[in-house]
Amino acid sequence: MAFGQGMTIQFKVAFSGLGETLIMVYGGQTSLPFEGLPKGRPISLYPEDVDYLKERIPEILRIAPESYNYLQVSANGKEINRTVHGTTAEFALMRTQVPRLGGRFLNADDVAKGRKVAFIGWKVAGDLFGSGDPVGSQIIINRIPFTVIGVLQKKIQDSMYQGPDADQIYLPFYAYRQIDNRRRINQVHIQPREAAQSKLIEARVRTLLGRKNRFDPDDRYALSFWNTIEDAKEGMAIFKGIEIFLGIIGALTLLIGAVGVTNLMYALAKERTKEIGIKLAIGARRRVIVQQFFLETLFVFAKGTFWGFIVAFNIVHIIRLAPINYDSFGIEAYLLRPEFSLQIFAAYMAILGVLVFLSGIFPALRASRSNPIESLRYE
Amino acid sequence: MIELQGITKVYKTGSQILEALRGVSLKIGRGEFISIMGPSGSGKSTLMNIIGCLDTPTAGEYVLDGDRVAGLSFDQLAAVRNRKIGFVFQNFNLLPYATTWENIELPMLFDGKNAHKRKKRISELLNAVGLYDWRDHRPSELSGGQQQRIALARALANDPPILLADEPTGNLDSRSGEEIMAILTELWKAGRTIVMVTHNDRIASYSQRIIRLLDGMVQD
Ligand SMILES: Nc1ncnc2c1ncn2[C@@H]1O[C@H](COP(=O)(O)OP(=O)(O)OP(=O)(O)O)[C@@H](O)[C@H]1O
Ligand SMILES: [Mg+2]
Repeated sequence: MAFGQGMTIQFKVAFSGLGETLIMVYGGQTSLPFEGLPKGRPISLYPEDVDYLKERIPEILRIAPESYNYLQVSANGKEINRTVHGTTAEFALMRTQVPRLGGRFLNADDVAKGRKVAFIGWKVAGDLFGSGDPVGSQIIINRIPFTVIGVLQKKIQDSMYQGPDADQIYLPFYAYRQIDNRRRINQVHIQPREAAQSKLIEARVRTLLGRKNRFDPDDRYALSFWNTIEDAKEGMAIFKGIEIFLGIIGALTLLIGAVGVTNLMYALAKERTKEIGIKLAIGARRRVIVQQFFLETLFVFAKGTFWGFIVAFNIVHIIRLAPINYDSFGIEAYLLRPEFSLQIFAAYMAILGVLVFLSGIFPALRASRSNPIESLRYE
Repeated sequence: MIELQGITKVYKTGSQILEALRGVSLKIGRGEFISIMGPSGSGKSTLMNIIGCLDTPTAGEYVLDGDRVAGLSFDQLAAVRNRKIGFVFQNFNLLPYATTWENIELPMLFDGKNAHKRKKRISELLNAVGLYDWRDHRPSELSGGQQQRIALARALANDPPILLADEPTGNLDSRSGEEIMAILTELWKAGRTIVMVTHNDRIASYSQRIIRLLDGMVQD
């Protein structure tokens, strides 16, 4: 059960590796004729669409354009090919671009002035500069030098495009235009003010860009959207499913535990039947017998709870110590981060506790009601 | 002191009905030393358990010290077993995980006696049965004869006026048996009422009177 909970939480962390709640808009091709225009027309996005949408859709919190191209990057005598992006400062806020200490992401000033600066992924940094700090160094892209201002910190990310963020290079949007002068942009990132508004924003983007580019707002293919909120819902559903599955396993474990405990207490009670008989024979009152059994049960239970807690807690923590390989996006990132839930543990122990109590106290009560000789005869 | 009137005990096992006692009537006076004898299965142990308030008869009247036993509650019976009757079993019935000291202490704990009184009495009893040096041992470390002496000491812990012993020497060699009988004789001389079950004529010869059982009935 700890694993299930851990997975759900880790999934949330990983998905927010891409950014909390995001809508990504891409160009497309019309699939419906509109106002006399044929279908099959390509629809592209342009830099001015960003301000156009921002001004007209108040539900948008942040919006950023993004263009990218696979380009040759050289520095430090090394040459590599990487995806180079042009975007604005808002992008960082949407896409959780956390810089390593001593660096920063692109800011509004960089973008407004078209400064020749670059923010690079930690793998790019490693490939070009080894373990040294690249901040302040120059990298050359398309014969234009850029100064590195920050390196992306490692993070778990399971949603991506163009490869993981670790391998990317970000430039201020207008500086990027100098090395890639295509007018159209690859995509627009939108962060809604509230996650619940994401569908509404999608519809309004369709309507507004449809009016501008003259396509049917109901045309599913004129623009395409990637809505992480909707995706997250699906992802969460899958992980909820896994959690429920693990929960069922947990419940089965509980059942096995309960059967075990009941058996144990029953065996204990049987074992003690003779002892109860002896005590009754030499004059123990009923209260003495029941009290003793109650204390014994409590003791056994407390001991069990204590060790159960220690063991479960430590297993969870030992597993959590295992390093996560952030470069791969396998299931281990989820399985290696089980959460120890005190509530679940408490609930588990409460159920077992009731069982222990019942299975402990009833045989004691029974033994102390019958004739002592019946308990004594028990071998 | 002990008065039984028409005591019967019926055991039902499945469809089998077994009459272990069939109308036993007897009187045992204060200070008597009685042996109960009879063949195996004649109901001796059943009778002893009823006298010792460990078991209840199916029918009949048992009056102990003027009290109708049938009218006593569970805890009143416990008090009778605790203070009025000491019971010695053939198989000792000592608590295995407790020391001899603790075994003897138990009836006094149930009686609520204070630590000082308990300590004094346990030392006294251990000395009387010659096992003071064994006070920290567990029953499993003792011989059968020694265990029975501890069981006897435990039965005497609260100084009961009646001592019941169901084949106290049955599991012992003759030397250990003689030791136990010597102690019982002492106790009787000190004024206790003693009822003992035995198969052995020599052991029975220590007593004043023999009650013979056959098929759940007293033979005259
Ligand atoms: N709990 C019981 N259930 C059924 N039958 C029993 C039970 N206890 C005793 N009996 C039967 O009652 C009869 C008398 O038993 P009891 O133990 O009193 O005999 P006993 O005279 O003590 O014999 P022994 O000399 O072997 O100890 C026996 O036939 C025995 O099988
Ligand atoms: Mg017998």
